[in-house]
Amino acid sequence: MNPAVLALAAGPLAGTIAGLAGMRARRCGWLAIAGALVTLALATWLLIHELANQRVSGFHDFVYVDPLGAFFLFTVALVVLAASVGSATYVYVEEQRGDLSHLQTRLYFVFFGLFAAFMLASMETGNLGLVFVLIEASTLASVVLVGLEGSARSLEAAWKYVIISSLGVTIALVGTLYLFYAGSRLNLASELRLTWPYLLAHASQMSHPSLRLAFLLAVIGYGTKVGLAPMHTWLPDAHAEAPSPTSAMLSAALLNTGMYAIIRFLAIARAGLGPSYPRNVMLVFGFLSVAVGALFLVRSGNLKRLFAYSSVEHMGIIAIGFGFGGVLGLYGALLHTLNHAIAKCVLFLATGDLVLAYRSKESSEVRGVLTALPVTGGALLLGTLAVLGSPPFGPFLSELTIVRAGFSHSPAGLAFLFLALLVVAFVGLSRTVANSVTGQPPDQLTGRGSRRVRVLAGAPLVAGLTGLLILGVWIPAGLHHVLMSSIRAMS
Amino acid sequence: MTRLSATSPAGVLLDLSGVVILLCGFACLGSKLFNRYLVYYGAQSVALSFAAGVVAYRYDRPELWVLATFTFAIKGIAIPTAARRLLLARLDLKRDVALSTGLSTSLIAGGALTAFAYLVTRPQELPSGLVSAAVVPLSTAVILLGGLTMVVRRHTVAQLIGWLILENGVFLGAITLVATFPFIVEAGVFLDLVAGALIMAVFVSGLTRRLAQATAGELRGLRG
Repeated sequence: MNPAVLALAAGPLAGTIAGLAGMRARRCGWLAIAGALVTLALATWLLIHELANQRVSGFHDFVYVDPLGAFFLFTVALVVLAASVGSATYVYVEEQRGDLSHLQTRLYFVFFGLFAAFMLASMETGNLGLVFVLIEASTLASVVLVGLEGSARSLEAAWKYVIISSLGVTIALVGTLYLFYAGSRLNLASELRLTWPYLLAHASQMSHPSLRLAFLLAVIGYGTKVGLAPMHTWLPDAHAEAPSPTSAMLSAALLNTGMYAIIRFLAIARAGLGPSYPRNVMLVFGFLSVAVGALFLVRSGNLKRLFAYSSVEHMGIIAIGFGFGGVLGLYGALLHTLNHAIAKCVLFLATGDLVLAYRSKESSEVRGVLTALPVTGGALLLGTLAVLGSPPFGPFLSELTIVRAGFSHSPAGLAFLFLALLVVAFVGLSRTVANSVTGQPPDQLTGRGSRRVRVLAGAPLVAGLTGLLILGVWIPAGLHHVLMSSIRAMS
Repeated sequence: MTRLSATSPAGVLLDLSGVVILLCGFACLGSKLFNRYLVYYGAQSVALSFAAGVVAYRYDRPELWVLATFTFAIKGIAIPTAARRLLLARLDLKRDVALSTGLSTSLIAGGALTAFAYLVTRPQELPSGLVSAAVVPLSTAVILLGGLTMVVRRHTVAQLIGWLILENGVFLGAITLVATFPFIVEAGVFLDLVAGALIMAVFVSGLTRRLAQATAGELRGLRG
């Protein structure tokens, strides 16, 4: 086992250390960015390493990374880098203005680093119990970020978040216990190890009723973190009240972390129960999430809540992709995870700029963004189009793949229903965002820091949109290879 | 490792503590005083630490002894005492009035959930005579009772207690089902719980001070 794997998860802790040492936002920000760069470099290295078919494992599979894990690590590392850049600028400006005290700034960077590190670590372990511990720890770290502003609203959102998520993750732990129970009937107990590879290899020997219950509990439990309806209620509040770079982390990284855990359970359930039961579970939760997300998109006026409901919808889309199954469905779902992560990063970071300039998240007060802040407004508009699945951006391609999987592996009615829901979402989201982007900007906008800060804040937006554009027209051979080997790792 | 049979002394003791833990869960559900919640939670945790001690003795696993001691010290004594000082005394909480259903209704619902727990875990399908056949439904019932407490109680402190009860149920299941559970996981879960309880306590007091009277029913700022 290579120590670089551990260094990967430890990268974001640079910001934590800076915060603990009492540095100002400026230095904390630079250190966080440096740490995230190291993490991304190591994640890329790990991905290439995995492609050469060299599994990384050690400490009795307490450290275990296969291509699927490496792919998710890479996605999260990208998000962490973008969100670190976003935090460096956003928190710096807020500190300069006096909106955040020095203590709040330090708390922000301490817990931001911990949050990122716990999420990355949860994808590096093969041990189911440790996955639970790390995901729960990431919840606790992010709660501080959600409640950072200390207003009644943000405290309320944080309380809702911590109580619902902890409950959810505890339910997932019960699911893990039932997985054991499923194995214990067959006398596996003496050598049964609580690890992904071992359980996947022995899934066919597990008792069916308990395995069914285990899978359902895991989907409900980790689904709470993913934001699958009806367990999504914490999500819009937490996303809306958290500082914008944290919202980006929640939406683009934390939801994926939960999805990663569900995928692992899904693989075990499919090996043990056959395809139909896991597929039905995923489809039910997936369609419910897309429907709830799409309907609330129509009536929400707060931009950050709007994007949060869009996350619920997209997590539903990914769940549906896994439900439809087949190589097409899995391929589309995995690709969509990456696309959605990049698009949501762009959107939430752009909203962060808006909050700094307009001091409001309500679409009725945010007007004329394209005139007032051309880069942010352009990113908001293009990012919205991308996340809604318009060509030529990446999400179009992945959603199309999922729809194709639907037509080839399920009754056509389901695929049509899916398309209809996407249309509702399109109308709901584009209407509100288009209203904000166009129109006459207010006369007085608050400054967003010096030119250098603004360039740094714009960098992840431009980079993200470029990435989405590339993914929309061209899947690099390396990425294709990674996705195919991830699919093999799941079956 | 040999399996624990239901008739062995350890099995009987484990079964007994499972029943006590369930009764404490019901007692909590049937009570209206914040003080009592903490007393019953403490008693439940002591019973849980006793169960962990039984398993530790039976299988001679030192790490489970550590776990039993920690459970006794932290969950049985420290959390209830600290909660009494930090929350109840400071915020002057006595009687919980924020119930969404009457006590009798919630007790009946609790009974129904217990029956449901036996229905879903199907102990009759396990090889007969194992203690896990008796304790797994009990732990499932405690988990459901904790969830029910969180649902029917609206006060943030009462919801916190519900969550802690739920965690106790998970622990009971874990120690009887999986004596091979890696120790680091147990330790991790435990640390996690303590950290979680602390953070929640901070939030409860912060929320309560800020919102004058924080019952979750009144947390209605964020909707839609």
